[in-house]
Amino acid sequence: MQTTRRTFLTGAGALSAASLAGFGSSLSAFQAHAANTGGYKALVCVFLLGGLDNYDTILPYDQSSYDAFAGIREPLLSQYNGIQGGSTRARNRLLPLSPSNASQFGSRQFAMPEELSGLKGLFDSQNAAIVGNVGPLIRPLNRTQYENDSVEQPKRLFSHNDQQATWMSSAPEGAQYGWGGRFADAALNSGANSGSRDFTTITSLGNELYLTGQEAQPYQIALNGAPTVDALDMFGESRGSSDGEARYQLLREHFEAMQFNSPNLIERDIANSMRTALSTNETFNTALQTLQPFSTSFGDSHLGRQLQAVANTIAIRDALTVNRQVFFVAVGGFDTHSGQVSTIPRMQRQIDESVVAFHQAMQELGLNEDVTLFTASDFGRTMIVNGDGTDHGWGGHHFVVGGAVQGGRIYGDIPPYTLGHDLDAGNGRLIPTTSVEQFAEPLGRWFGLTDAEIASALPNLGNFGGADLSFI
Amino acid sequence: MRRSHWRLVSPPPPAGSRAAIGASFDTQQSTALFLTRATFGPTQSDIQSLTGTSPSDWVLAEFNKPATLNLDFVLSELQRTSSCAADGGINCEVKQIPTFSFWINAVRADDQLRQRVAFALSQILVISSREPEALFEVPETVAHYQDVLVRNAFGNYRDLLEEVTYSPAMGDYLTYFQNAKADPSSARMPDENYAREIMQLFSIGLVQLEMDGDIVLQNGEAIETYTNRDVTELAKVFTGLSFKGGRFFFDYPTLPSDATYSPMQAYPEWHSDEAKTVLGTTIPAGTGPEESIDLALDALVNHPNTPPFISRQLIQRLVTGNPEPDYIQRVATAFADGAYTLPNGTVVGDGRRGDLSATVAAILFDPDAVDPSNRNDAQFGKVREPILRFTHWARTFSANSVTPVNSFPLWNTSDGGALAQAPYKSPSVFNFYRPGYIAPGTETGAVGLTMPELQLVNANTLSGYSNFMTYFIFGLATEQESGADASSFIPNYADELAFASDPEGLVNHLDLLVTYGLSTPETRTQIQSFIERIPLTDPNDPNYDGADLRVKMAVLMMMTSPDYLVQR
Repeated sequence: MQTTRRTFLTGAGALSAASLAGFGSSLSAFQAHAANTGGYKALVCVFLLGGLDNYDTILPYDQSSYDAFAGIREPLLSQYNGIQGGSTRARNRLLPLSPSNASQFGSRQFAMPEELSGLKGLFDSQNAAIVGNVGPLIRPLNRTQYENDSVEQPKRLFSHNDQQATWMSSAPEGAQYGWGGRFADAALNSGANSGSRDFTTITSLGNELYLTGQEAQPYQIALNGAPTVDALDMFGESRGSSDGEARYQLLREHFEAMQFNSPNLIERDIANSMRTALSTNETFNTALQTLQPFSTSFGDSHLGRQLQAVANTIAIRDALTVNRQVFFVAVGGFDTHSGQVSTIPRMQRQIDESVVAFHQAMQELGLNEDVTLFTASDFGRTMIVNGDGTDHGWGGHHFVVGGAVQGGRIYGDIPPYTLGHDLDAGNGRLIPTTSVEQFAEPLGRWFGLTDAEIASALPNLGNFGGADLSFI
Repeated sequence: MRRSHWRLVSPPPPAGSRAAIGASFDTQQSTALFLTRATFGPTQSDIQSLTGTSPSDWVLAEFNKPATLNLDFVLSELQRTSSCAADGGINCEVKQIPTFSFWINAVRADDQLRQRVAFALSQILVISSREPEALFEVPETVAHYQDVLVRNAFGNYRDLLEEVTYSPAMGDYLTYFQNAKADPSSARMPDENYAREIMQLFSIGLVQLEMDGDIVLQNGEAIETYTNRDVTELAKVFTGLSFKGGRFFFDYPTLPSDATYSPMQAYPEWHSDEAKTVLGTTIPAGTGPEESIDLALDALVNHPNTPPFISRQLIQRLVTGNPEPDYIQRVATAFADGAYTLPNGTVVGDGRRGDLSATVAAILFDPDAVDPSNRNDAQFGKVREPILRFTHWARTFSANSVTPVNSFPLWNTSDGGALAQAPYKSPSVFNFYRPGYIAPGTETGAVGLTMPELQLVNANTLSGYSNFMTYFIFGLATEQESGADASSFIPNYADELAFASDPEGLVNHLDLLVTYGLSTPETRTQIQSFIERIPLTDPNDPNYDGADLRVKMAVLMMMTSPDYLVQR
């Protein structure tokens, strides 16, 4: 059976090598009481849809913790024993971590599976940090408070869509603005991206909540550039004559809904999207002509292709006239209720290869210090196994990657690999010790936001008295 | 609040500048509107033959039509292709057969209302055969599931939920297939996936609702319908199910040949015999699997949330994205009472809670659906689903050779460069868009309207949809393909070509067919001005066919206008 064939019609504009992009971006003047918008900075959120299993990502390494873990996770570990090449979760196969703050954890030690060896290398070279037990919280919370419901808790815990929304926006489904969009708003309001605001928040997916602000609206990119409208292109071929030009302009007005008028808000929303789509896509494709191909290979995985599209967009930042950007990419498959041992290692390898390639690509651009990538996910998972998978949890462990990161260190906490402890909300679902907003705070500061702007983007941050995590 | 304020559409014109039509069969326009909601798109002949008749009679006839099913087609295609060589080419495609079956029935089946409601249900009771989901590999399991929805589309929601629960498709998709009871020796617990989603998505939702869909508030806060404890308890109910006719952990060769497309069987020894307390209902210790499932499903369907929760979503799929509370309440009442009186006095429904024929009739004949003033309401309507736009085109312009196997672009339409939506191929159990989606940064979002399909509208998908439709509207397969592929889904514009030298007449003709007479004067003028500038002949090119080009461009422009993209 053939599963792939010809494409129909012509695809989007090809990537053509063209003139060298200069590195001297137009610097906006630094404004003392507003976000710092000097130089170039970008944040890249890699969202792992479905809820990445924290227990299968950062594993215990000291013998005693490992044994306790292995006892509880026996049904899963025995399935790992059956995979080709043997278990990558066997203690002697794990890659032990030597964080600079190892003493904070006493005799407890941690490790990563070999599928994440590239990220482990970035951790070792202090280009990556681990932030342990991050998740949605409104206020600090312990198990008694959780069980008695005596302290305000995030809404709709353990629900995929609501916890995704809460990670992105501090509120469940129906929220309107994400903190990526709020960060971008702060930069825009302080004069960033003065050439064009259209490319401030960028995604390889759809209408992402995370990237939506009052000013910033997500723009969708693909590896092969922005799509063009075939019918318009067809009539563009006869623009040489005045008749042809008039025809073209009428058709263009149609596709941009220029004459459209209606009291219906739904129609107006669509017309508003049409009004910007065509010209922003054209501007993007023109800028893409300046792209110099990377020597780094991103591979052909779903995440690799998305991060390559992000890297390409960063590479043409001068042509797009931007100096502050927030990106959002995502990959699914982490809701491992079943088939975890056949899924997680494969997905971790994909994350590892893609993130390492992205890091190398930023080094190629000389932007290693200016681009910071981080992971996010709906929630962690249960420590208890349900047969061949795990169920929805809460806190999870995440990575922050980039030259500006104070790497080689574990921030936050890694709770014990046992059941019934003070952070166990049941079956090993971890009550987070670092809120998502605490996780976002240093990223916002690095992005250039003022205290007031951070407080506005992260409404519950003031409930957590502690100091900034300072991982960057 | 959007960027680029200068591009915003100008202030709304005074109301009443567009035709005001209700949902009856009084005029061709109102017939077309009713059929837009109740079918995969009105055909020219349906509009003509039904206008002047009774929509009640039409709906009753639809309820009584035999169901057009999928499984036999899929099995026969599997049989046919089993003799294909491994490199047998396009006609030997196996894994997309359920999708082919969907397109064929959507475009051609006579039981249009049933097919349309089944498609709506497929977006609530979601499974996905999107690669690399395991279901992609078992077309007959997907077809069996499609038929569960088609057969029960006018049945009872409680029965439907039971058939869904026992379907191997759902068992696989939400991972309770071969879900074993807890094993104290290894600390293993039952899989919670289906237990959670059947409550959150398939029955009661997350928070307590009034009958009109409003959220019940206590001290200003919503009240959650279940706790995580309910999830772990309900998880015990969905233990012990596996393929029929073998063992719980079976050997494939020993299974009956129809096991993959038959209801799952309960294996009591693998079912939790603990007591299960779900939403206040206690299923005593020692209760067997079938009875436990019965009691749990009863508790879910009898929950006060289920009528408004399911009714609201069905209204969203058929009529409007942000239904008014009164509208939800009337439909939810029909769902709860299991009965609805049609305008001609006939009562539909058997009086049992969850009757879907009563629910569907209540949606289509509701005062909000038929109120002519809603045609000009600022907040009424929905974005047409991309799949329905394509089927509408295929039905309206009589695409011949409805052979999706020969139309590669129809195999998987989920890419943003295609329709951004594909039947039974959602990216997750949360469908292509959420019923609670409020589009950030939009005018509907600013006033808090839920508008699910707006989740699919952006710079990428607008162009993608236009290009996808261009391929079909222009019949480009005739130029780009050969053999049977070149004649699949080729439109017939004979009626439209009659208007080729009358651009105004052409636009008015399409206005009825495509937007049931509701397109704006600005859009009609825009299209007409463009069409007029397409010459009918080219002295330098004897092959040039200006009439054909005018018709195709007019259809494309109509179907890419905001007037069309929103169904009101």
